[in-house]
Amino acid sequence: MPDMRFVIPRQDINRENFASSAPDFNRRSEMMNTDRGFKCRITNIVRLTEHEKLFQLRIVDPLERAIFRFKPGQFLMLELPGYGDVPISISSSSTNHEFLELCIRKAGHVTSALFTVEEGAYVAIRGPFGSSFPMDEMAGHNILLIAGGLGIAPLRAPLFWINEHRDRFLDINLLYGVKEPSQLLFTWQFEEWEMINHIRLHTIVEHGDAEWRGKRGKTGMITNLFNDISVDVKKSYAIVCGPPIMFKFVCGYLDKLGIPMNRMFVSLERRMHCGMGKCCRCMVGSTFTCIDGPVFDYWSVMNLKEAI
Amino acid sequence: MNIAKLKIASFDFTCCEGCQLQLANRESTLSDFLELLDIRNFREILSEKHDDYDIALIEGSISRQDEVERLLKIREQAKVLVAFGTCACFGGINSLKNRFRMDETVREIYGDMAIETLPVKKISDVVKVDLSIPGCPVAKEEVERIIVSLATSSLVTLPKYPVCVECKQQLNTCLFDLGEICLGPITRAGCNAVCPTGKTACLGCRGPAEELNMPAFLELVRERKLSHSDLQEKLAFYNAFEPVATDET
Amino acid sequence: MIYKVISKGEFRRFVDALVKSNNSLGPRQVDTDSQGNPVYQFKPVQSVEEIAFDYTATTSSAKHLFLPFREELSRFSFHGDDWEQQINYEADPVVLVGLRPCDISALNILDDVLLNSHFPSPYYLAKRKNTFVIGMDHLPLPDCFCKSMNHHTVTIGFNLFCSDIGDNYYLSINSSKAFNFLKEFEIRDPSHDDNCLLVERRKLIQNSFQTEIDVTALPSILDIEFDSPVWEKWGQKCLNCGTCAMVCPSCYCYSLTESCETNRKGARREKSLYSCNLVDFAVVAGGHNFRPKNGDRLKYRYYHQHRGFAENGNQQICVGCNRCGRACLSGINPKDVINDLRMEKESCLICVSSSPARI
Repeated sequence: MPDMRFVIPRQDINRENFASSAPDFNRRSEMMNTDRGFKCRITNIVRLTEHEKLFQLRIVDPLERAIFRFKPGQFLMLELPGYGDVPISISSSSTNHEFLELCIRKAGHVTSALFTVEEGAYVAIRGPFGSSFPMDEMAGHNILLIAGGLGIAPLRAPLFWINEHRDRFLDINLLYGVKEPSQLLFTWQFEEWEMINHIRLHTIVEHGDAEWRGKRGKTGMITNLFNDISVDVKKSYAIVCGPPIMFKFVCGYLDKLGIPMNRMFVSLERRMHCGMGKCCRCMVGSTFTCIDGPVFDYWSVMNLKEAI
Repeated sequence: MNIAKLKIASFDFTCCEGCQLQLANRESTLSDFLELLDIRNFREILSEKHDDYDIALIEGSISRQDEVERLLKIREQAKVLVAFGTCACFGGINSLKNRFRMDETVREIYGDMAIETLPVKKISDVVKVDLSIPGCPVAKEEVERIIVSLATSSLVTLPKYPVCVECKQQLNTCLFDLGEICLGPITRAGCNAVCPTGKTACLGCRGPAEELNMPAFLELVRERKLSHSDLQEKLAFYNAFEPVATDET
Repeated sequence: MIYKVISKGEFRRFVDALVKSNNSLGPRQVDTDSQGNPVYQFKPVQSVEEIAFDYTATTSSAKHLFLPFREELSRFSFHGDDWEQQINYEADPVVLVGLRPCDISALNILDDVLLNSHFPSPYYLAKRKNTFVIGMDHLPLPDCFCKSMNHHTVTIGFNLFCSDIGDNYYLSINSSKAFNFLKEFEIRDPSHDDNCLLVERRKLIQNSFQTEIDVTALPSILDIEFDSPVWEKWGQKCLNCGTCAMVCPSCYCYSLTESCETNRKGARREKSLYSCNLVDFAVVAGGHNFRPKNGDRLKYRYYHQHRGFAENGNQQICVGCNRCGRACLSGINPKDVINDLRMEKESCLICVSSSPARI
C-alpha cells in the first residue's frame, strides 16, 4: 500500500492554475490549445485545372469564425480527419471573415484524398501560422508581384489586399508565368484585376499552343517579362512566389536592377508537420519555415543555408 | 467512414503458410478487420472459391513450373497483387536451396523419387508486384494498417528507416555491444524490433532499409572483428540482401 | 532554493518511501556488454534496492518520459459525415531518480524549446509538471564533455539535487513538494564543513574531465563550414539509423502520422520522434528530398545540436553527455567531428587532400 504522505499529487494542466516556482511551470493551458482544429464545412469546390482545385471553407462555430483572423501570406494546416494534415497558404482576402479559400494542388496523399471529398464535408484547420507580407510597409510604393505556377496561390491574398486598398499603392505589375496555357489559374479574375483594379497583368507560358499563339500570348521564361516593364527601383517592392529555381533568377535580376534585398519578399515552401516550430521538418538552415517564414525578405533567404 | 468492401483473395505458394495464418490473429480487432474484406478465395479459412477478386495476397516463393502458371493467372485477374511475407518479397528461407545443385538437393530430401523443382524465385521475378508487405511472418498490425489504407484509398507506406530506430525506442542493449552481428542497421523497420528485443539478432526478414549504407555496415563488422562468415550467413538467410564479397575478411 | 544535508542511509529511506508510493524510474543495470561492462537504462523501480546509484551512464536518456517515442496527440471519432476531435493532455505523476546534471540541463533546454516559445506544448508541460526529478552529481566518464558545453552543473529544472559529500548528500531543494516530503526524514542545515566538502566535490568533478571540445564560435564555424568536405567524410560512415537522435536527451524533432482505426469509427493522430539522419526527414509532397545525401543529413543534426535554432535563441542544444558518440556503431562522435571541422586534427581531410572536393 502506498504511504499517502509520499504520494505525489497529480497536476492537471487543464484545470489548475499554478503559481509556484520551477519546475512547476506557471503556464496557462488556454494558450496551448493549438492542437485543436477549427471545424470547417467545405461550402464550395471549383475545379481550376486537372491538378488544382479551389476549396471554399466556412468555420462552423460562429465564435471560432469571429476570432479567426489572418494576414496576407500566412498559411494554415488543413486537416482531413483520417488522412492527416497539410500546410496550405490562404488564397482569399484577409478581410473576408465569412469564408476562406484554399487553392490546392493534388500532390501528396492528403491532397489526393481531399480531391475525392464533396461539398458539405467537414475538415479542420489549425492556424493561421507564419509570417506575412508587410502590406503597411509597402503602402505608397510600386508593387511588383511575380508568380510562377502555383505561386499565384499565396500571392492572391496580398493581391486582394492591394485591390481593397488600391489608393494606398502606386503602380502594380503582376508577372505570371506557367508551363502551359491550361495551367493558368484564376483566369476569370484577370479582367477584374486589369479593368477595375488597374493592375498591369503580364502572362507568359513556356510552351504555347495554337490558341495561345492566336491570342498573341507570350512564350518563354518569366524573366522574359522583365523587358515589358520598367521598374523604379527607389519606389518599388517585390513579392515573388514560385519554385525555388525561380527565386534565384528573378530575385537575382531584381537585385542587379538595384531593388534592395529587404524590399523583395519570397514565400518558401517546405513540408511542415506541426506548424508550430516544434517538429523541425520544415527547417531551412537554422530557421523554421513555419514560424519564421513562410514569408522572408530576400536578404534573409540569401543568408539561409539550403534555401534555394 | 463508409467504404466498399475489398474483394480479396489469398494464395499460398512455396511457404509455411504462417503469414496467411497471421491474418486470423490479433483477435481484438479481427471482426472489424474482416468487416473490411469480402473474401473471395482463401483456402485456410473458407471452402467457397470465387475468381472475381481485386486484391490478391501472394504468400510464398515460386519453386515449380505449375506455380509459375498459377501465378500468371492470378496476375491476370488481380488489380492489386501483393507480395505477402518475406518468401514472396525476397524468396525467403526457401532460397537457401539455390546454393546447391538442384539434383543433389532433390536426392538429399526425396531420395530417388522423381520431383520436379526449380531454383526458388521471388514473386517479382515472375510477375509485376504492386505492393510488398515483408516480414517473417508479416506483422498483423501492419497488414491491418495497409488494408485500412487500401480500403480508404489512403497512402500505403512502409517505414524507410532501419530497425535501429525502433530498437532504441525499446531501450534494448545493442546486440553489437553484446558481441553479435545484427542486421538491424540495414533492415527496414516496422516490426518494432521484436527479435533484438528478445535478444536475438535481426536477420533482415523485412529486407533492406531505403538507401542503406552497406560499406559502412561491413566496415563496422570488420572493425569489431566479428566473423565474416557469420555475416554472410545472416545476409543470405532470407535472400533479402545482395551477397557481399568473400575476400573482405 | 533551500540547502540541507542528509545521511546516505536516511536518503535511501527517503527514496524508498517515494518509490514505494509512486510510479518511479531509476537507473538499473540491464545487461553486461561483451567487454564485461555493465549496461544501464532508466527503468521502472519498485524499491530503493533496485536503483543503481553508482551507475556510470544510461545508454538512452530519460527524454522519452517527457517526449514519448510515440504519442497520441488527438483522436477523431466519426459520426456519419461529421466528426469530433478529442484531445487529452493528462499525465500521471512519476518519480525520476538519479538524473545527471547534463540530463537535467537537457530538460531545461527542452523547456526552452517546448514551453518558452511561440506555441507551448501542453503534452510536454503535463509530463514535465507531473515528473518529480531527483538529480545526482557524478564523476565524469572519460568521454563526457559536458564541461565544454557548460552543463556539468545545474541550478534549476529539478525538484531535488544531491551532491555526494562522502557519508552524506548535500541537498539542493528546489520545490515545496520535495521539502514537504523531506520533513518526514532526518535532515539538517549544512555546516561549514559540509559547505567545504561541497566545494571540494565540485572541484573534483571540475578537474576530472578528460575530454574537452573547443566550442568557441562554433555556431559561426558551422555556418562557414556548411559546405565542408568533412560532412561528406563523416556522412560516408553514417548508417542513417537514427540511433543518435533516439538516445539523445535533447533531440526533439518529430513526425506526424494519421491512421484510420480498423473499425473506421475513428482515426488517431500520432506523433513519433524522428531523426534528421533518417532518409525521408526532408522529403516534401511529390517526393523531392531537400537532403538526399548522408553527409547533408548528418550535418543537419550537428547544425541543430551545435549551432542551435531560432526557437531557443540560437543556443546550442547539445549538453555533452556523449550518448550519441557511445551508441553510434560507426564511431561518429561530436568530439571528432567538431575537431575535424575546426581543422585541429592533423589527419584533417582538408589539410591532407591537395584540392578538397566541394560538394
